[in-house]
Amino acid sequence: MRSGVWGRLILSVVTALLLLTAPASGQERTVEERLRDLERQVELLTQRLEGADSAAIVEMRLQIEAITREIEELKLGQEVVVQADTAVYGLGPAASKVYRVQQGVSIGGYGEFLFTGFSESRQDGAPSDKNNVVDALRGVVYIGYKFNDRFLFNSEIEVEHASTSKSGSVSLEFAYVDWLFSNPLGGRAGLLLVPMGFLNELHEPPTFMGSTRPETERAIIPSTWRENGLGVFGGTAGFGYRAYVVNGLDATGESGAGGFTAAGLRGGRQKGSKALANDFAGVARVDYVGVLGLLVGTSFYIGNSGQDALTADSTSTINALTMIWDGHAQYRARGLWLRGLFALSTVDDVVAINEVQGFTGDESVGERLIGWYVEGGYDVLHKIRTQHQLLPYVRYEQIDTQNRVPAGFSRSGAADRQILTFGAAWLPIPNLIVKADYQVRKNAADTGVDQFNVSMGYMF
Amino acid sequence: MIHRSLALSFALCVVLPSAGRSQVLLTQQEALRLAFPEPATIERQTAFLAEEERATADDLAGPDVEVDQRVVTYYVGMEGSTPLGVAYFDAHRVRTLPEVLMIVVTPDARIDRIEILKFQEPPDYLVPESWLGQFSGRELTEELSVKGAIVNMTGATLTSRAVTYAARRVLALHQVIRPLPEIE
Repeated sequence: MRSGVWGRLILSVVTALLLLTAPASGQERTVEERLRDLERQVELLTQRLEGADSAAIVEMRLQIEAITREIEELKLGQEVVVQADTAVYGLGPAASKVYRVQQGVSIGGYGEFLFTGFSESRQDGAPSDKNNVVDALRGVVYIGYKFNDRFLFNSEIEVEHASTSKSGSVSLEFAYVDWLFSNPLGGRAGLLLVPMGFLNELHEPPTFMGSTRPETERAIIPSTWRENGLGVFGGTAGFGYRAYVVNGLDATGESGAGGFTAAGLRGGRQKGSKALANDFAGVARVDYVGVLGLLVGTSFYIGNSGQDALTADSTSTINALTMIWDGHAQYRARGLWLRGLFALSTVDDVVAINEVQGFTGDESVGERLIGWYVEGGYDVLHKIRTQHQLLPYVRYEQIDTQNRVPAGFSRSGAADRQILTFGAAWLPIPNLIVKADYQVRKNAADTGVDQFNVSMGYMF
Repeated sequence: MIHRSLALSFALCVVLPSAGRSQVLLTQQEALRLAFPEPATIERQTAFLAEEERATADDLAGPDVEVDQRVVTYYVGMEGSTPLGVAYFDAHRVRTLPEVLMIVVTPDARIDRIEILKFQEPPDYLVPESWLGQFSGRELTEELSVKGAIVNMTGATLTSRAVTYAARRVLALHQVIRPLPEIE
């Protein structure tokens, strides 16, 4: 009976070691050597069990102890496990930490596919003349590499609209190196996501309601907004912060970015591609997450966007000071998901920008842009024992990208929009989501076109 | 030019909060001493589960949580002859890279505390200590899930889930191993 128990123990240990060590690639020789050693140990222990006396059992206990420690070390990592000399120990301070550097590649990703069906008629009853579209909207791969405990690299490579032979593109969405100075503070440099709003930094499909992103976080906070720069990040006592210096926006399209338009600031993004660096900007964000499920925060961006572009008469350069502020809040717990955001932006020297860009009449870039939205959803399967989530949601949004224009220009009613979105999301598992919603889109020019959206997204 | 300087000054003059968390690294011994401070003693034990016992733990943990180990090492904290709790160490994958947790279980089979020993993913995905605090006092019920009482961490959903699964796995193993009656 006793030998049967010991045999089971030994076999369990060997089985566990086999499971633990088998997946390791590039270490076949080491694994084989370890297995040969373990086989020899099993053979020896089995022989001893036949005539086991108390001394032999004690010895076998020690050997099994050693093997279980090896299992533990393989599972947890050598840098975590500090060996003790005895089974019962006082655990004084470790004589030395074993900081054997764990290097590693981290891969993740997300993607989304979107069908958009447009209403045949506009808000004023005229034909919309819009075609329905189905799009492989995004395919993204995250690749990170941890050099050691202080330095790591993280990146996102995105294919938009499936193919560069049509309207698609391949972009480096972010690529930065983190330097973890110490517990209080980290430094970050590279192509950075500007830390504003909800979606610019966090836009995997399961992390937001709606098949499409809110317009406020496209036109005023022009997600996905990334610029080259450097800064610091960290957090404590329920607060998190990021503060960066980045190259400024490009208001007039000097870099080929397109520049600001009546529709918003989106065309001013330089995306890290040979970005003009005559003007820099500062951006900072603070979030409070001290209450479980609650996130309340604000962010502020300030910087010139002229990039030394000349006025139309070539007599001076354009500064185009641009400021963007947002306040945001979210509560998410027990199936309930509430979110709201307000964003305000001001742009100076709009007349000069308009003249360079050739904008007249109601085509002016907005001197002031305002947008906000509130949305809410509830997982109706929250109380049911299933991994599935079914989340009806509704969002109401108002945005006006020409809230104020300079004298001599007029506001376009099309820039003053209200969007009501209602639909539902189904998550069979937390990493997969299917959303379907209907959007009632109205504007002050009566040219809004309602649309029906269906999307499928994934992340890993 | 003034505006340019203003922008740079703004960024450089942002008042930074005083502390934050980079990747948390505790050794196993440091974590155990956090769980069971002096003068408590700590006893290392290993359970060897039969396949049926492993399957039972797998069932208890729930449909989304995998229990695949049959060799489970745990640490019992004792003050004299009184058990203080049992510490388990759970290694699992977050996105691609591993995380190691210490999960301490009270004598009445509730979670006492969770400590992160190793976190290899970028720090953006690391959950704060305040978030881990919501596990204290939880037992193995339906509430111990991100669909139940556990609140997801915005921006770190994969980590939130991995920690919750680890908590369920450890409590399930604890129920099967029943380490404390043997001590007593």
